[in-house]
Amino acid sequence: MTETTDSTLAGLAAQVADACEAGRALTIAGGGSKPFLGEAPPDTNAEKLDITAYRGVVSYDPGELVMTARAGTLLAEIEAALDTEGQRLAFEPPHYGETATLGGTIATGISGPGRPYTGAARDFVLGTKIINGRGEVLRFGGEVMKNVAGYDLSRLMAGAHGTLGVLAEISLKVLPAPRFSRTRVFEFDAATAIERFNAWGLRPWPITAAYWEDGRAYLRLSGAESSVSAAMETLGGETLADDALFWADVREHRRDFFTRGDAPLWRLSVAPATPTLDLHGETALDWGGAQRWLVSDESPESIRAAVAAHGGHASVYRDAAGEPIRPRQHPMPAALRQLSQRLKHSMDPAGILNPGRIDPEF
Amino acid sequence: MSELPAAHAAGAGAPAPENDAKARMRAALTAELPEEIVLHAEEDLRPFECDGLSAYRRLPMLAVLPSTIEQVQAVLRICHAHDTPVVARGAGTGLSGGALPLESGVLLSLAKFNRILDIDTANRRATVQPGVRNLAISQAVDHLGLYYAPDPSSQIACSIGGNVAENSGGVHCLKYGLTTNNIVQIEIVTIEGERLTIGSPALDSPGYDLLALMTGSEGLLGVIVEVVVKLLPKPELAQCALIAFDDVRKAGNAVAEIIKAGIVPAGLEMLDHPAILATEEFVHAGYPTDAAAILLCEIDGTEGEVADDMARVREVVEASGATDIRISRDDVERALFWAGRKAAFPAMGRISPDYYCMDGTIPRRALADVLIGIGELSEQYGQRVANVFHAGDGNLHPLILYDANQPGELENTEAFGGAICRLCLEYGGTITGEHGVGVEKIDQMCVQFPSAELTQFHAVKAAFDAKTLLNPDKAVPTLHRCAEFGAMHVHHGQLPHPELERL
Amino acid sequence: MQTSIIDALRDTEDGREADRILRACTHCGFCTATCPTYQLLGDERDGPRGRIYLIKQVLEGETPTEKTQYHLDRCLTCRACETTCPSGVEYAKLADIGRDLVDRQVERPARERWLRWLLRHVVAYRRRFAVVHALGQIARPFLVGRLAPLRQKLPPRRPRVDWPQASERSRLMLVHDGCVQPVATPNTNAHAARILDQLGIRLVAASGAGCCGALSQHLSHRAEAHDFARANIDAWWPYIEQGAEAIVITASGCGASITEYGYMLRNDPAYAEKAARVSELARDLSDILADEDLSALADIGGGRRVAYHPPCTLQNAPGLHDKIGVILAGAGYKLTHVSNAHLCCGSAGSYSILQPEIANQLRADKLSSLGADNPEVIVTANVGCQLHLEAAAGVPVRHWIELLEPEALKPVRAAAA
Repeated sequence: MTETTDSTLAGLAAQVADACEAGRALTIAGGGSKPFLGEAPPDTNAEKLDITAYRGVVSYDPGELVMTARAGTLLAEIEAALDTEGQRLAFEPPHYGETATLGGTIATGISGPGRPYTGAARDFVLGTKIINGRGEVLRFGGEVMKNVAGYDLSRLMAGAHGTLGVLAEISLKVLPAPRFSRTRVFEFDAATAIERFNAWGLRPWPITAAYWEDGRAYLRLSGAESSVSAAMETLGGETLADDALFWADVREHRRDFFTRGDAPLWRLSVAPATPTLDLHGETALDWGGAQRWLVSDESPESIRAAVAAHGGHASVYRDAAGEPIRPRQHPMPAALRQLSQRLKHSMDPAGILNPGRIDPEF
Repeated sequence: MSELPAAHAAGAGAPAPENDAKARMRAALTAELPEEIVLHAEEDLRPFECDGLSAYRRLPMLAVLPSTIEQVQAVLRICHAHDTPVVARGAGTGLSGGALPLESGVLLSLAKFNRILDIDTANRRATVQPGVRNLAISQAVDHLGLYYAPDPSSQIACSIGGNVAENSGGVHCLKYGLTTNNIVQIEIVTIEGERLTIGSPALDSPGYDLLALMTGSEGLLGVIVEVVVKLLPKPELAQCALIAFDDVRKAGNAVAEIIKAGIVPAGLEMLDHPAILATEEFVHAGYPTDAAAILLCEIDGTEGEVADDMARVREVVEASGATDIRISRDDVERALFWAGRKAAFPAMGRISPDYYCMDGTIPRRALADVLIGIGELSEQYGQRVANVFHAGDGNLHPLILYDANQPGELENTEAFGGAICRLCLEYGGTITGEHGVGVEKIDQMCVQFPSAELTQFHAVKAAFDAKTLLNPDKAVPTLHRCAEFGAMHVHHGQLPHPELERL
Repeated sequence: MQTSIIDALRDTEDGREADRILRACTHCGFCTATCPTYQLLGDERDGPRGRIYLIKQVLEGETPTEKTQYHLDRCLTCRACETTCPSGVEYAKLADIGRDLVDRQVERPARERWLRWLLRHVVAYRRRFAVVHALGQIARPFLVGRLAPLRQKLPPRRPRVDWPQASERSRLMLVHDGCVQPVATPNTNAHAARILDQLGIRLVAASGAGCCGALSQHLSHRAEAHDFARANIDAWWPYIEQGAEAIVITASGCGASITEYGYMLRNDPAYAEKAARVSELARDLSDILADEDLSALADIGGGRRVAYHPPCTLQNAPGLHDKIGVILAGAGYKLTHVSNAHLCCGSAGSYSILQPEIANQLRADKLSSLGADNPEVIVTANVGCQLHLEAAAGVPVRHWIELLEPEALKPVRAAAA
């Protein structure tokens, strides 16, 4: 196994080195579950760098709260391994399909409903082994909770869409699964939901998710049974049956809200207490108000302007039929963009790793 | 100062006549800035020659004390134009020499930036200037039932800008994360003098996670001039258990057992016998002075949760051989338990003229082995060591006690420290968990990272600072330096060699 | 911290003492957090750690200029830093040595010298100060420019409270009279005497005792301070031999100095023992009263709101114990919440005269903290703080002991109304 995986990694590195030499673009291919994320869709005509063969859990010691796995490992496999020890990935990554890999999960940097309360994917990355744009295998960070030796290039990989380096191995902090969890439902309008979510956030309650859709607010509480029960008593509301399924549906965009209509689906990222935005279309609120889903025909310019007015940003998640919206990500200020381009160049000088996935230009 | 080893007192001695470069820079700076904030005389510069790691001292060429962001921009712009290196300094409490000045450079003090600019209760954030003290943030939002979670031991004095630059931790990291997990946005000034916003008021931002990259970059990528921190609701209840052991190994194992039991303590700290003695004398926290080691285990949450977890902690540590368990009855007693821990480093000043603080991090399972290994090294090097550390994170802080006035002791101490670093790496750890590399652990970086990684770090640095002017020669060693360091190892075997100039 | 004191100093008493203190410092910087001037100015040289460094340079043979002197002058000597120092650095002792060393090498401008001379030669002598004070009452309008801060040290006269009739009491205590207090706020000791009299304690002020020496000590005239100390010891000793239980301190600034007599005169064979005894006997008035039965005073406060400003010399300097809060609460007063109680008000002995700018900024900050919770009256335990705060406060500022005598409440209420 070790020899095979070693040669797999060596093969991948060699392929990157060759491509670098030749100045040939590579499309990093994992499970192919999230092509709709990132700036441009993966270039299917470009040479594929298939990481799915580089898979398997490298080490997992429940007493250390750390798991190291290869990027091609199925996310489902990792979650199953953690589950047997009563642990989990606390950032609740969306899968968007059965083929989701750990590499793709970290490369897209996406997190589920618990994100504002327990942290994002990047918060749980402790270390990575990557292949940079020159085909060098590099290791950053480590398997310990605290590590400030060298720049934090591991966390930087989260959400970089593979454009700074090919994720090969990832060490993650894992946590014990909550012992007890309940969800309460309230009848609120959106403005009230935002106000309540954030007022509740000031209290020392074990809130782990807050979502609103179609006049109903959903609040998940997790932790010791006694503290969940005590908070529920104070909060009121109705208990939601089968809430695990509900939150999985929110996370995976399986709820009706995400599939209805033909208008584009936008993701608005704002400070949680940002008031409701004056935009046409249907809205759902996740992350206690910090992540808002908008199904709307409004022009990209007016959506972006409305969000930017509150310091937030908007990206397209799903296009309507016809011409796809470009750019998909919220444009960065020029100076930041230039800096990002220089950073990209420092890790991938030939610009061959997933070009265009993070920015139209690089 | 003539008897100081040259390696540690570069720039000391008789004041050199103001050279051309210094005169030029001074003229350029005072052309745009008030004269009184540009310090140039040795008398004025001397207090800035070191930070919290006073074993390393260097007189800066100039020091500037700006009070506006525009002034910071001007300083950086001028330095960039004149190819003059800049070292930023916050409260100067760092323990790795990260704010050690350069004799050919400008020291940029951010201590005057000490105002809290905004408290946004609804979004649970505070916008603060970089010189604001870590603890001052929590004090300012206390009445709202909120606090800022990362709490380095120096939190009373250390500044938030420095915390971001070093990615500081503290005793509550295991549960609440490091600085990187508790900030949402920063403003930086680049070496070109340009102001950039990194991060956003939202929970993420478009493009790369530059906030992650900037945090812990030790002032090598940009100068932090504003920070937006996350605030958390104060837990309903926190309780601290003071647990004594008659054997270090038992204490180390108890740590692993607590985590294995599925408990995530808010803080889990350990002090060994010498550390207990030194702190107890100053703080009178009631630490049992006959114990070989004590654990401080803090549990927070709702009342039920705390009661639950505390009962389980008691069970686990009793099974691990604890000789005494005391659980804080109220916040006063809890604060007292912590007071000793928080003051533990400088309290060493009471039992030794100087101390050298290490910062390696190891997997928790190796705690006992590494502690015993450090004990053996202590005998080998003939120097006392006290251990005070974040056991829950596996973050060790061995404090090597020495006397800087004794010739050769500092060099021996450094060598001892290097050996501790290597020991941590052998067990799969890292040389620094939260204090940063600075100048202090720069040689050990050569041991932790192969040259390809170091080359990549330098390339990233160049993307931000092509002329290598921001805090140069810190945090990431040059390959040349590593080659020399490696050669020293191969040829001479063991350090120290005080006759060698190493800085 | 590493030190290398020059040979010329290494073998002197000051050199040895300074080296001992410096060696304890680990340069951790905790002290900067509680230093009022560092928090205000954000300059390393205006914090304890930077000042220690400035002093260290001089000890290591560098020639100081007026800049080192300037930053040492700006230190309040409030000793808040000592309370935060985990290494036990005795900053104030080092500061005294450092200021002395610097002042011997750096001559001050004539005006400055004159002002300092005046402070030492007039304020520290009760009779001279009384004359100036009386003249000052007439001359108030003429105190302008650099002398303007003096105007604040001349509070308007208030009706005199009488000392109790001399009577036989079983217990005897000395009271330290000092220099400024008998002139500026003579009622303080009168109230103390009356209350102690009710408790069966005769309070006496020894004739011949005078200034505690703090003024000279902090103006770099330590030998002069030692002379004041000896004079006081000589004046008090007969009473101590007669069995005086304590030397009651009603101005904590003096108390901080008297509790140091033992240290000051440790190398004076004729006085070392007596000085140590005097230091032991010095106790703050509140510390004395806290041991007595005060049940008779239980209701006199009537729930009135009082903001208490603990003087630095009572909360930071070792030796005195502050029981004021407990006593006032026991007497039925409601103590208001005061944030940043650890920060100096800016009075700091002669500081408010010599450094008016910083002193006034600190006072403004202090008064805003003291006033935040709507007190009827502000109380403190040191005449310096009292006069300094009173000059700018919107509510009356009193010595706390005045609140324990019902008749003293009248002016308080009148002023508050």
